[in-house]
Amino acid sequence: MNGKAATRDGPLAELAVSPAQETRESVRITLAGHVQGVGFRPFVYRLASRHGIGGRVQNRLGEVDIIASGPAAVLRQFEADLIAKAPPLSRPLITGIERLEPRHDTAFLIAASSTDADARIFVPPDYFMCDDCRRELQDPGDRRYRYPFINCTQCGPRYTLIRSLPYDRRNTSMASFPLCADCEREYLDPANRRFHAEPVACPACGPRVSYEVPGAEAAVDAAAALDAAIGALRGDRVVAVKGIGGYHLVCDASRAEAVAELRRRKLRPDKPLAVMFPIAGDDGLDTVRRHAILGDAESELLASAARPIVLVTRRPGSTLADNVAPGLNEIGAFLPYSPLHQLLLEAFGYPLVATSGNISGEPVLTDNDEAARRLATVADAFLHHDRPIVRPADDPVFRRIGGRMRPLRLGRGCAPLEATLPWRQPGALLAVGGHMKGALALSWDDRVVVSPHIGEMDSPRSLAVFEQVAADLQALYGVTADRIVCDAHSGYTTHQWARRQAVPVETVWHHEAHASAVAAEFPRPGPWLVFAWDGVGLGEDGTLWGGEALLGAAGDWRRVCSLRPFRLPGGERAGREPWRSAAALHWECGRQWDDCPDEHGLAELAWRRRLNAPLTSAAGRLFDAAAALICGQTHTSFEAQGPMQLEALASSHRHPVYLPLTRGRNGILASDWEPLLEIIADQDRSPQERSEIFHASLAQLIVQQACRIRNEHEIGQVGLSGGVFQNRLLTELAIDGLARRGFDVFLPEQLPCNDAALCYGQAAHLAAAAGICA
Amino acid sequence: MDDDRISLAHGNGGRFMRELIEDVFARHLGEDGLDTQADAVPIPLNGGEVLITTDGFTVQPLEFPGGDIGSLAVHGTTNDLAVAGARPLYLTLNAFIEEGFEIAFLDRIVASLARAARESGVRITAGDTKVLRRGEGGGLYLATTGVGMRLPGVVPSLDRIEDGDIMIVSGPVGDHGTAVMLAREDFGLRGDLVSDAGPVMALTEALLGLDGLRFMRDPTRGGIASIAHEIHRATAFGVRFEPTIPVRDPVQSVCDMLGYDPYYLACEGRVLAVVAPDQADEALAAWRALDEGKDAARIGRISAQDERVILETELGGERFLEELEDDPLPRIC
Repeated sequence: MNGKAATRDGPLAELAVSPAQETRESVRITLAGHVQGVGFRPFVYRLASRHGIGGRVQNRLGEVDIIASGPAAVLRQFEADLIAKAPPLSRPLITGIERLEPRHDTAFLIAASSTDADARIFVPPDYFMCDDCRRELQDPGDRRYRYPFINCTQCGPRYTLIRSLPYDRRNTSMASFPLCADCEREYLDPANRRFHAEPVACPACGPRVSYEVPGAEAAVDAAAALDAAIGALRGDRVVAVKGIGGYHLVCDASRAEAVAELRRRKLRPDKPLAVMFPIAGDDGLDTVRRHAILGDAESELLASAARPIVLVTRRPGSTLADNVAPGLNEIGAFLPYSPLHQLLLEAFGYPLVATSGNISGEPVLTDNDEAARRLATVADAFLHHDRPIVRPADDPVFRRIGGRMRPLRLGRGCAPLEATLPWRQPGALLAVGGHMKGALALSWDDRVVVSPHIGEMDSPRSLAVFEQVAADLQALYGVTADRIVCDAHSGYTTHQWARRQAVPVETVWHHEAHASAVAAEFPRPGPWLVFAWDGVGLGEDGTLWGGEALLGAAGDWRRVCSLRPFRLPGGERAGREPWRSAAALHWECGRQWDDCPDEHGLAELAWRRRLNAPLTSAAGRLFDAAAALICGQTHTSFEAQGPMQLEALASSHRHPVYLPLTRGRNGILASDWEPLLEIIADQDRSPQERSEIFHASLAQLIVQQACRIRNEHEIGQVGLSGGVFQNRLLTELAIDGLARRGFDVFLPEQLPCNDAALCYGQAAHLAAAAGICA
Repeated sequence: MDDDRISLAHGNGGRFMRELIEDVFARHLGEDGLDTQADAVPIPLNGGEVLITTDGFTVQPLEFPGGDIGSLAVHGTTNDLAVAGARPLYLTLNAFIEEGFEIAFLDRIVASLARAARESGVRITAGDTKVLRRGEGGGLYLATTGVGMRLPGVVPSLDRIEDGDIMIVSGPVGDHGTAVMLAREDFGLRGDLVSDAGPVMALTEALLGLDGLRFMRDPTRGGIASIAHEIHRATAFGVRFEPTIPVRDPVQSVCDMLGYDPYYLACEGRVLAVVAPDQADEALAAWRALDEGKDAARIGRISAQDERVILETELGGERFLEELEDDPLPRIC
């Protein structure tokens, strides 16, 4: 995975090749892309030996450099196979083929890595076991039969066990497991697929699972531990299971009582819980299909090596307990993502709830003792293992929106996310993101590396993990940030953290970061019009933005459209109490709201006196208002609960309500939501109808604003960015409407559209503003 | 001229002023030692260490459930002396009165001030009166200086705080801030919301004998959260609040409705003390034996492991309690 790692003098491996009879050619092939830490050099070595090719392969400047000599036709086939037969985790790209004077290499070598300091380092994510390991896992004759920590160069943990560079076993959390003779033989054999597989392990020398019931004796035997865990799950118990990037809380997903108990203990009454399904059938998805309707895109992603959680439509008649995802028609499904989970699900035979083992909003727990302590009131038992997790990686989440699978959260298996910018970052920049859905990014040259999801940033554990990941990413990539960029909101924990550091700090406005994020992901000429719609973020005028349309380009935005602003009674409380948004809309229009939970009129009085009632133009608050009025959801227990249920109510398209667009005193065009208030508050219409009109009207508003701006300004393309666009219905209606009017529309797909992408957007914003094209 | 109200002439040094002082200030305060004639007065202090403090009072409204600006001026000043380990003895008083202020109202406030001084065992020994032009003052401002004598026992100080020390508070927090806010914004009277303004001398003197007493503070502006930040800044230790901070239901419900955090709201009759862990129970017992300390509670601890002010929630979670900002803008929604 790195160029600086290898300091050995001699070749790592050498393979004798019989001299060819026909005319030989020699070529130099250069490959870029993801070619390090994924077993690419051993692959080249094996491929060369199969073709009888001489020469050498070397990691150089983050690229793979091959010199190959052999018959012309064989070389052509070798070149083709380098791509076609590349290891599944690699993403090679041939960047150069150069004809050399014919050489007479009689052997093929894996040469030691070039020690160039500018090596283009990639830190690989953690992947599910490959087919070869799976076969061994299931083979009673194999020495790793049913071994929960089986892995090879093609699969297994990486990001969560690397302590430092160079990526050698001694610098991973496997350092405390000395290799047995058998494993060492594999580790040193270039022809073996475990050649330099740093986490290689077997039952004789590797990590072990243990089962603990607080207060009872621990089962140390691996088989007994797994059996005990299965027994507990069958008895409707909650078991905390240590995985790759952290703990899960696990219970029987078919048993409403078990799920209810988990919810009660975790104080998580409503938030949907992810469900892990046993692998079955040719593509592994037969069990998932019994409970959910899968499209091709969902199926492919579910079975991919990243094994993310994918939001899928629940199949009517599914035997999953209703309280797995109350009020929603989607479930978060995933397949076992490690051999341990594979063994667990195989033995249990039915879907299991597998939700992050954490305290609400905090990063997932990774340490055995800390998990045992902090989950003591939640879990009945613990399935621990003794391989330390160096840093957490929560499960990633994807949803199909606008015909493509898009991340809602980056995590294990897809982070660190390595992206390329169309601009060059001056110096090295640490981008610390926002306050919710915390994640950070490191940017230098034309690169941005984005961390996995960390958590809501107002907890000490979130900040501790944040600080660790900030330090680790810089150490792993060999880059030291000389600047920090943060959100302009001075109340954010990340903003305050940035101010405490010794390097210069720059700020980027929340919605400009959202806009730059989408513009950087799709480099295009011509001005962008980006709709940055979300919960709230601080705007340049000191009010809380979140329904904005920004015109310009990454690094240079101008607000051109917004929504009619209104005051939020009780400030931050509005985030978990949608009734406040509903009340605000009523009061703003001089209306009474009879169902307002403000019994003594206290909130209204305070609102009239502008006491803790900040001005906002956030679309997310309109969704909250609609959820309160349509679904009766006055209080929620998790973010976006109201909008999610509102979306679940709607199924067909309705005619939108026309919302007038007028220029305000600040020169900004603002859409007035007041005509919509009448509809969403109309008790004579069904909830479904009201929700459908609401979605259609906001989508129409986007189209109307875009058309109006196009009359006045050139628009190259339209971007949609911000957490509101996780709503599939709104987003697809907006994309359709815009496309019908001839707009090219872009929605983030490498990164989430929500606040998790703020760090990436901040980095892109500053790189673009500096204006040096990559 | 309206005889019932303050005119500029009440501040001109002439008859009106003399009559105002005699009729209002001297009448209420003269018996307790205020000499309205002298430019300076002698005060007897019998050796020992003298502590002195000064304070200004601009509370709006001037009267609120549970107190008024007069009683607040006494409690605010004397409590500052008390938490420093002193017994308050003397006060000076400056009154800045706005032209047009109702004299009967002034009389009521000065009477309340005198009553509070008697209850607190302090004497108002010197004073001054100024009249501000109409529109240049908020009706009435008061400024005080307090003098007290160091009591025997511990000298409470931030320097004494150690890792693992326990924080206790003498009663529910946020009452004063909530009551004043509701009164100021004219939310209508709510009988269950009353300021806690009152003397804390009994509370502070109850702890001075404990050698494990480290530090005391009355959580006025900025509430207990701001004291925690003060401790953190001074000691570099983290401060952990536990989910046991007493807040009365009506205070919590008003805070919930308006979106405020009671930990940042002022108290005017409470003490937050930091004590050594092995004497925390003793300190709590001493407080609970007093009427003004009957709801005293342990609310947290000093933690060198942490680097910030942290609130542990009932759900087993932890969040940062940030320093108070003016009109904090929402971070989440």
